[in-house]
Amino acid sequence: MKYITTVNEKEFEIVIDQDDAILVNGERFAIDFQALPDGGVASLLLNNHSFEAVVEEREETWEVLVRGELYPVTVQDERAYRLAKARGGETAVSGDAVIKSPMPGIIIAAPVAEGEPLQKGDKVIILESMKMENELRAPRDGVVARVAVKPGDSVEKGQVLAVIAAPVVEGD
Amino acid sequence: MKRNDGLLTKKFDKLLIANRGEIAMRILRAAHELGIDTVAVYSDADRYAPHVRYAKEAYYIGPSPARESYLVIEKILDVAQKAGAQAIHPGYGFLAERAEFAQACVDHDIVFVGPPAEAIRTMGDKQMARQTVTAAGVPVVPGTPAGTDEELIAAGSEMGFPLLVKATAGGGGKGMRPVYEAAALPDAIAAARREAAAAFGDGTVYLEKMIVEGRHIEIQLMADSHGNAIYLGERECSLQRRHQKLIEEAPSFAVDEDLRRRMGEVAVAAAKAVNYVNAGTIEFLMDKDKKFYFLEMNTRLQVEHPVTELVTGVDIVQEMLRVARGRKLRIRQEDVKMQGWAIECRINAEDPYNNYLPSTGLVTTSRAPTGPGVRVDTGVFRGYEVTPYYDSMISKLICYGETRAEAILRMRRALAEYRVMGVKTNIPFHQHMMDSHRFLSGRFDTKFVEREFSMSDREATDELEAAILATLVAHRQGQQASQIVSPGTRDASNWKYLGRWERLRR
Repeated sequence: MKYITTVNEKEFEIVIDQDDAILVNGERFAIDFQALPDGGVASLLLNNHSFEAVVEEREETWEVLVRGELYPVTVQDERAYRLAKARGGETAVSGDAVIKSPMPGIIIAAPVAEGEPLQKGDKVIILESMKMENELRAPRDGVVARVAVKPGDSVEKGQVLAVIAAPVVEGD
Repeated sequence: MKRNDGLLTKKFDKLLIANRGEIAMRILRAAHELGIDTVAVYSDADRYAPHVRYAKEAYYIGPSPARESYLVIEKILDVAQKAGAQAIHPGYGFLAERAEFAQACVDHDIVFVGPPAEAIRTMGDKQMARQTVTAAGVPVVPGTPAGTDEELIAAGSEMGFPLLVKATAGGGGKGMRPVYEAAALPDAIAAARREAAAAFGDGTVYLEKMIVEGRHIEIQLMADSHGNAIYLGERECSLQRRHQKLIEEAPSFAVDEDLRRRMGEVAVAAAKAVNYVNAGTIEFLMDKDKKFYFLEMNTRLQVEHPVTELVTGVDIVQEMLRVARGRKLRIRQEDVKMQGWAIECRINAEDPYNNYLPSTGLVTTSRAPTGPGVRVDTGVFRGYEVTPYYDSMISKLICYGETRAEAILRMRRALAEYRVMGVKTNIPFHQHMMDSHRFLSGRFDTKFVEREFSMSDREATDELEAAILATLVAHRQGQQASQIVSPGTRDASNWKYLGRWERLRR
């Protein structure tokens, strides 16, 4: 089986055809892989280098915790990879950045107006939760396409608060 | 013994813990070690919490929001009377610094494990605290009295910038705003008032000069009801983000024997000025010339007390219980020796790669590091839900070493062993800090994390391994699924096979 596995936008081609070895980007590694009965704990001996990790499945990705660091990983077989590639073009065109509420809370302020240009890192929403005021910032440059909440609103986790559209390019 | 400033001490053998999480665990362990029975209280969110499971008795006190459960004085006192608890330990947060709660306990003939109500009242009002300690000869940061928006704006321009807007009822950075220029002052005052009103029900604020490049250093105090007061050395708490402490150490890189004695003596004088009894902490700001100024007194047990316990060998919580029983301190000032080095990392449910946004949800994996010199104080377990009702702290990871370097090496080892999943944690932040040259050389102030420390230069080192691990798990899962559906190879139907396979997997 051939997989294309993506971590932090880096792609690895991984071929699994036997129990004790794999090919990663064409390079052979001897492996001994064991899943422990305790939760998602996995032990990997990679050319006899030992790695313990916790691997848990999320909606469309895997989360792998290695030495304190959490890696979101996408694993696709060749067919799924080609399908996703074909679809990829469409999502890149729309490209809106959606700011969702990371937790339930109350909107304290939304110091932006629709149509206003923004730079990455600008304050978009101030959300009170866990007794703290949390600033939600623009994930990238753009224009405020929509502000879906107003001060005083109670919001749920995952609720859309604002949408940042791609910046308008002069003379375009 | 009952004093007219609201102090009651007497022997007790049953203690109610008016708190939750790691600190409730810490207190009930100390009580059990002293042979004192414990009574826990819990809200809807905490029925499965360890403090409920480990206590001798536990009583339900209401819905998850703290203001309907852990903050309701009548409910706590009702449980104390029903359970026959003769004493209450408030922990930190919740009711710990509410003078009316301390007074209500005494009025019900229940020992409040903490200072007299009068001392809480005085130190809880920052303006009154400043006046009281100034009279006792303690240096304070220059500042203004409380006032209206107009008065404060005028006073601010006169005092000069940068300055801090602070809530008189404040604490933990809530209701506090830094201001670097006159134009920003009105907004900062409004924001501080709003936050203080929401958090403390009191929007009174005042201004204080900002000590730039300052360090936050605090002195742990312990006083008994017989007039003895000692200091247990200092804690270095400069590593903060938005006034929330993230890493604490004892001792401090910046404090030598002579400075420790001077700060300790000033702290004892401040405590004596309010007839203080039990554990307390004086927070100081220290400027780059090592001049120190009184910031505030925390009239309770601190989150970061374990680092002091590890370097002094004093069990602060046990000592609190003894003092509340009316006993004398077991140690004199000359017996206090600081040995070795301790560092505490607060492990929080927040994403260090995304502006430290709090992360809520179910903890799907929780395995804490162990081994020599490692202490973990936690109330979180696999299946625990991080909710917006309570703070986002998952645990306190505390490491001890003979030297600072040893403690740091041990902390690196422990952080790498820690496994928490389901919520994002700030473990990578701590790892990055333990690798930072500025931290290693002790050159940091209270603004270091916000202004100079960045996660963006942290390199992901195990991407290849993560990719392989996820692929192997996905591959194995895919193979098991295909075994189930490949037809004609089994005598039973696939549905029967699936049922058997799932039962086997349990």
